[in-house]
Amino acid sequence: MMTVTYGLLAIACFILWRRVRWGWTLVMAALVLGIVVFARDVDFSSNLGIQL
Amino acid sequence: MTREDGLSPDLARVLNFLGLLAMIGVLLGAYVYQFSYRELPCTLCQLQRVGMLAVAFGAAMNVVLGPDPRHYGVCLISAVFGLGISIRQSLLHINPFFDTTSGQPSLVATTNPPFGQPVMGLHLYVWGIVLFATVIIAVGVVQLFRGQFRAVDGPDRLRRLANVAVGILAVVAVVETITTFMECGFVDCPNNGGWNWWLFS
Repeated sequence: MMTVTYGLLAIACFILWRRVRWGWTLVMAALVLGIVVFARDVDFSSNLGIQL
Repeated sequence: MTREDGLSPDLARVLNFLGLLAMIGVLLGAYVYQFSYRELPCTLCQLQRVGMLAVAFGAAMNVVLGPDPRHYGVCLISAVFGLGISIRQSLLHINPFFDTTSGQPSLVATTNPPFGQPVMGLHLYVWGIVLFATVIIAVGVVQLFRGQFRAVDGPDRLRRLANVAVGILAVVAVVETITTFMECGFVDCPNNGGWNWWLFS
């Protein structure tokens, strides 16, 4: 999933290079994907109390 | 008639370009560190790099398309994202009741070793806190100058600079994508830095 996150950023850079303004939406999508990766990494189910 | 401050749109674009170079410099420094110490980045390290790249993207938008509060917004959201990840990783290594080796909480205090080698006395995730907090403050200060947001007529004198900015950013983003693919493939990255993809395992 991290590869896809970076891939979105790379595509956003290409879009920005073309002077198109909506590339930032891909960056936001990458950050949302990053939050999903982060949430999976935290493992809330087994050690919620101590890790947070 | 509003009183103009000293920050012109072109000067703001140059400042954003310098900010972009700073973020790219940190990312390249992390690469040098990664290959010189042969330490692959962990999941949280990768997420902090995503935050840095996204901050740099917001700065590049200001350089390429001109200063805009929305572009600074991209920087701020990305910096808050990165700051959260950096704080999370720092807390993991502060907490003596969390065993970072097993990834599980412990009822006894562990040695809880830090991740990676320190740089000038601080580990990279602590530097991440400093960096992202600095970005948030810097963006807040720069936004106080509203002269940069006025419309500009005529040819773009900084077009070449803008092309360089977005070119550097694109190259780094593509390189990050390739190296992350080599490390993780399309599955979750390993927590403690190691090859996780079937081709390299």
